Amino acid sequence: MVLNNKKLFNLPPEIVGKADISSLLRELELLESELIKLKGQTSLSASQKNTLLRVTNELAQTAAGNSYDLKIASDRQKLTRILTDVRDQAPMVHISFAAEPSPKVTQAILSWLRGNVHRYVLLDIGLQPAIAAGCILRTPNKIFDLSLRASFEKQQPYLIELIKGAALNQIAPGAAVEE
Amino acid sequence: MNNGGVLMITGGALLAIAVVLYFDWRVKNPRAKKPAAPAPTTSQAKKLPIDAQPQTIVSAKEDVEHIFNDEFREELRNRGRLHFEKIIGENAMFLQQDLRQTTTQLNDYMRAEITRTLQEEFKKYEQSIVDAKQIALDSIEKTVTTIEQQRQLMETQMQTQAQAQRNQIIARFESQMAAIINHYVMQAIGNQIDLTDQLEFILTELENNKADIIEDIKRGS
Repeated sequence: MVLNNKKLFNLPPEIVGKADISSLLRELELLESELIKLKGQTSLSASQKNTLLRVTNELAQTAAGNSYDLKIASDRQKLTRILTDVRDQAPMVHISFAAEPSPKVTQAILSWLRGNVHRYVLLDIGLQPAIAAGCILRTPNKIFDLSLRASFEKQQPYLIELIKGAALNQIAPGAAVEE
Repeated sequence: MNNGGVLMITGGALLAIAVVLYFDWRVKNPRAKKPAAPAPTTSQAKKLPIDAQPQTIVSAKEDVEHIFNDEFREELRNRGRLHFEKIIGENAMFLQQDLRQTTTQLNDYMRAEITRTLQEEFKKYEQSIVDAKQIALDSIEKTVTTIEQQRQLMETQMQTQAQAQRNQIIARFESQMAAIINHYVMQAIGNQIDLTDQLEFILTELENNKADIIEDIKRGS
């Protein structure tokens, strides 16, 4: 299994979910077919070939991050195989926000997950406006409510104390000051 | 003046009238003045003719006729009338004085009686007023006591109900507090809160649940 190799594959944070990996795989297939086409065209110069072989930033980063050269067929095949394994075997985590998260937020969360939970975690991002603030994380068997409301519920005794203190201060500010 | 004085005056006046009437009756009935000498019987008078009667008797008859003639009777009548008028005048004066005194005493007596009666009635009236006042005060006191008891009862009930309602509201607030605070927070910050701002909070929460997430991922994979 590729994921268990000693030389670990680095999945860049720009690759968020299965859709991104599938996109990379399609791009690799396209690149492979383009290279096959270019092999027969000897009239093209090297610069023209480089222009035709232009890839997306995500694929370039993925290849560069793992020291693969996309011009080399074996590297492309390895990359394709690894990405396929990741797509099929990597753990999926569903995360919901109240609004569409920015790439910065997604990458930050994904970096944390890949650094602390699993190296190849893939995210499936959803929307739940009722969350208001925070997020809800759903792993294969559990749901983690990381919203602000859940945080308030956990801190209910502390909130009650805060409200009582505020009420007492409002009723008798002089007495509260003395205390 | 007492009743004895009035009776004496009235008796004196009646006595004087009786004396006058007696003399008048004696004048009109001269034969009634000879009760002492027994009258001769009819047979003896018939037996003695006038010439045969004694001289003294004849002269006496003449004197009597002379004494009780009309002039003398008129004189006596005038004297009696004067005396009667004098007695009537004196008695009338006494009677007037006594009557005035009696009237004064009667007025005093009536005044005293009326005053005493009025004072008694006033005392009764005052006592009635005092009693009525006391009854009214007792009634008012009872009413005030009853109202106070009712007020305390209502106050206790209202406090109990208010406390129960307050506890219920607090319990409901505490049970829904997270949602309420979340709602207020969202109302307060609205769309100003960005996911980028929430990132630290999310990462902290992820860190808090890290072990469970890893466990579930391992189990799932």
